[in-house]
Amino acid sequence: MSARAVPPRQLWLLIAGFGVWCSALVVLYTLHAFGCAFAWPTGALRLGLVATLLIHLAVLGWMCRDQTRRPPDPELGATAAFFRWVIAGSLIAAIVAAVLVLGPPLLLSTCV
Amino acid sequence: MTAPVQSPPNRARALRLHRELVAIWATGPGLQRLASVNHSVIGLRFITTSLVFFLIGGVLGMLTRVQLATPNAGFMDPETYSQVFSMHGSMMLFLFAVPMIEGIAIYFTPKLLGARDFAFPRLTAYGYWCFLFGGTILTVALIAGVGPNSGWFMYTPLSSNVYTPGINSDVWLLGVTFVEISALTLAVEIVVSILKMRAPGMSLDRMPIFGWYILVTALMMLVAFPPLILGSILLEIERAFGLPFFDPTRGGDALLWQHLFWLFGHPDVYIIFLPMAGVLSTMIPVFANRPLVGYRAIVVAIIALAFLSFGIWVHHMFTVGIPHLALAFFSAGSAIVAVPTAVQIFAWLATLAHGRPRWDLPMLYIFAFFFIFALGGLTGVMLAIVPFDWQAHDTQFVVAHLHYVAAGALAFPMLAGLYYWLPLITGRVAVRGLALPAFWMIFVGFNMTFLLMHLVGLLGMPRRVYTYQGHEGWDALNLFSSVGGFVMTIGFGLLIIDVLVQLRYGRKRRRDPWSATTLEWAMPIPPPPYAFASLHHVDEPHDRVAPATLAPALARGEGYLGFTRNGWQETLGVHMTSGVPDQLIILPRATYLPLWTALATAGAVLAMLAKLYLLAAAGALLVGALFVLGGQNAGLRREYGPLPIGHDLSVPPHTEVAGSPPWWALIFALVSDGTLFTSLLFGTFYLWLSAPNWPPLATPQTDLLLAVAVVAALFAAAVSARGSLRAIAHATSPHAWIGVSVLALVGSIATIVVLIGDIVPHPREHALGATAAVLLGYIAVHAGIGLLFLISNVLRIGAGFVSARRNIDLRLTRLWLEYTAVTGAIAVGLVLALPALVGVLELRP
Repeated sequence: MSARAVPPRQLWLLIAGFGVWCSALVVLYTLHAFGCAFAWPTGALRLGLVATLLIHLAVLGWMCRDQTRRPPDPELGATAAFFRWVIAGSLIAAIVAAVLVLGPPLLLSTCV
Repeated sequence: MTAPVQSPPNRARALRLHRELVAIWATGPGLQRLASVNHSVIGLRFITTSLVFFLIGGVLGMLTRVQLATPNAGFMDPETYSQVFSMHGSMMLFLFAVPMIEGIAIYFTPKLLGARDFAFPRLTAYGYWCFLFGGTILTVALIAGVGPNSGWFMYTPLSSNVYTPGINSDVWLLGVTFVEISALTLAVEIVVSILKMRAPGMSLDRMPIFGWYILVTALMMLVAFPPLILGSILLEIERAFGLPFFDPTRGGDALLWQHLFWLFGHPDVYIIFLPMAGVLSTMIPVFANRPLVGYRAIVVAIIALAFLSFGIWVHHMFTVGIPHLALAFFSAGSAIVAVPTAVQIFAWLATLAHGRPRWDLPMLYIFAFFFIFALGGLTGVMLAIVPFDWQAHDTQFVVAHLHYVAAGALAFPMLAGLYYWLPLITGRVAVRGLALPAFWMIFVGFNMTFLLMHLVGLLGMPRRVYTYQGHEGWDALNLFSSVGGFVMTIGFGLLIIDVLVQLRYGRKRRRDPWSATTLEWAMPIPPPPYAFASLHHVDEPHDRVAPATLAPALARGEGYLGFTRNGWQETLGVHMTSGVPDQLIILPRATYLPLWTALATAGAVLAMLAKLYLLAAAGALLVGALFVLGGQNAGLRREYGPLPIGHDLSVPPHTEVAGSPPWWALIFALVSDGTLFTSLLFGTFYLWLSAPNWPPLATPQTDLLLAVAVVAALFAAAVSARGSLRAIAHATSPHAWIGVSVLALVGSIATIVVLIGDIVPHPREHALGATAAVLLGYIAVHAGIGLLFLISNVLRIGAGFVSARRNIDLRLTRLWLEYTAVTGAIAVGLVLALPALVGVLELRP
């Protein structure tokens, strides 16, 4: 067993990536509903949607960079290595899911 | 494989420890069985009861196949048919699938994680009784001819008062909600137990993959069930009191029900699939004779699957008129969800490909799973594509797809697990006379029934039709489909006989018959009530356990807690990530209290059903009182400090540490509660933005002074709760602070009642008033529960259960009241903002 334990708060990082993905989906869906209900101009609505997605992707990218660039703490042992792998994996998966699921629909007609 | 022979002194030592532990942990005979709180007993009850409901649901399914076997059949009248297919779906989903995975989680998780029991045994028992009574209410209603008849997802307005004036819908709403209370209590318990009650040394990277599957599933349940519970409560309030949440003529919207239902309904598919994937991930390495490939990738896939499954609820609503751009989010999400599923399937195939697979009966069911689940997944991707969904929506194609997914995800892995773990449960190995023909009849019958159903769906046959004319070209397909159904049923009949034969004539085994590598086999079989005579220190990887050598050592008491003390039911609590022991958890003994509490809950539900609302309120108060009573003997009456647990280690009892299971349980319960509150906020905004007949004719108004007074009182209660905690820490009396909290809560409830009475527009006239009333009601209920916390605090302080170090009661109260204050401020703020929001609607074109 390692000398120090991985802090339990790191458990949150396991779900942080897809938490941001969920936030992106909810904000995009809500913004789209508002835009259509209040008849926003198509260009403004699309711009708002794209900006929302880009902000979320930037957050995900920053989290991923932060996670992968931080040197591993040798005192934390195998459990920490496991956490690093799974957190990085879920962040990358969340980025891919955000690009593939939330990106292409923004090219479609907005409120039809 | 044979177990190592023990020397006589070792045997005597193991036997003595066994007798001492049995005297403490065993459930009594006769009627005392009703008081059992042991996870093995309750887990088995869950599994067998859900199997009974599976059989009833299966018979109902067969009845529908009889009706549809030929055109113009007069076997059932339309009303009976509606009740039969509604109950078939409801029973299979709510009374079989979810309780079955709960039963499997309860029975196997502590054993696989090397623990003696779950964290809250009485809650487990309460959950079981709620499930049993809720299921019984639904079944009796069907027999009485007043079963639910609006389909298993109860769409409004069909399920509303106008089109279903009887109690049929109420039976579903109340019965299913009753069962969901059970599911939520168990989800909290499972999460806390997995995080805090693993074997010492079992860090999260050493946890069996089954533990990850069950952990993520339970977390999903915490978030998935509240939207449906909220929807059920709102629909029942609409039906009982006329508040129009789903009535478009008064500012409601039928689509709100669909959103709330599918926010639960789609994740529920994965709530069913993930535990069964855990079963497969446990069994496949055993039969492949090699460790599971891609443990870490599978953990990532489980997390991804959990989130993606929530993000695609709208794919059940592709035809309701949502704009294309929004549909595309959910269409793409529905397609991409196949990726993490495929990661797991390829990991299993790689495990088999790189191992030395041996063929045995469970493997047949595993390969059937691959075949059927792959087909179900592929038709799922087809339905994810919007244009195809528009063609196939509400046809028999969808019914076929969901059966392929449900059977692939649940039934076949479940049957594989049944044959794998039956020796553990019964202590006997299979005779195998009927098992093979049973398998082939189930497999062939299943495909015959549902493969053809795809075709009849593509030919245009709608789902849920009572009959057809005979000129549509559906006759032969329907007939063969029905014949297949009966072949499958005969297969299940043979399987039941086979299991009964094994129970009676199976060869007795004392140890693992499969050469497995997980901890549940490192105990005598069938498992004794204490599970492990002592707790193993895990210092090997998750799949390198050797039960054959480990079991005798644990039986001799060579692990942790290999002794008895004070007649306590002891197990260990560990650090969440590292698995280092940090507390001694003393579990409550057998008690009838869960049964009485569940009976009181059932009484309240039945009173609601009979529209005796005052009696229902009294029943709810009784349930609260029983919960307070149940807490009175929990914990220890004095401080003990660190107590020895073996291996030269000492840890304090759970009553004297900060991160004890009750603390974490309340946090996760509040996560679930917060989801329900968020769903309520979503519902309010959804109606405001999307429902017809907004804004209301009457101008909404709320008394600002009273609203501010409510929030102030709630925060005063929360601050006083902190004061009482400080007082107990300084060894002074906290009663004055508790008194202030009580007064503040009573004041807030009274003020909320006045506010609800003054709401404009009246809650029965428009959904705006209705949502305002429910938002305020939510806070009043929480303030009321806060009062129960405070009453319990006073009683337990008087009984000597609370001290400076044993302060969990007061910390729980503080947390609850802080949550109530924060949600109260949000809810009251939204109610105050409603007039302004209505003004914003004027800006719509």
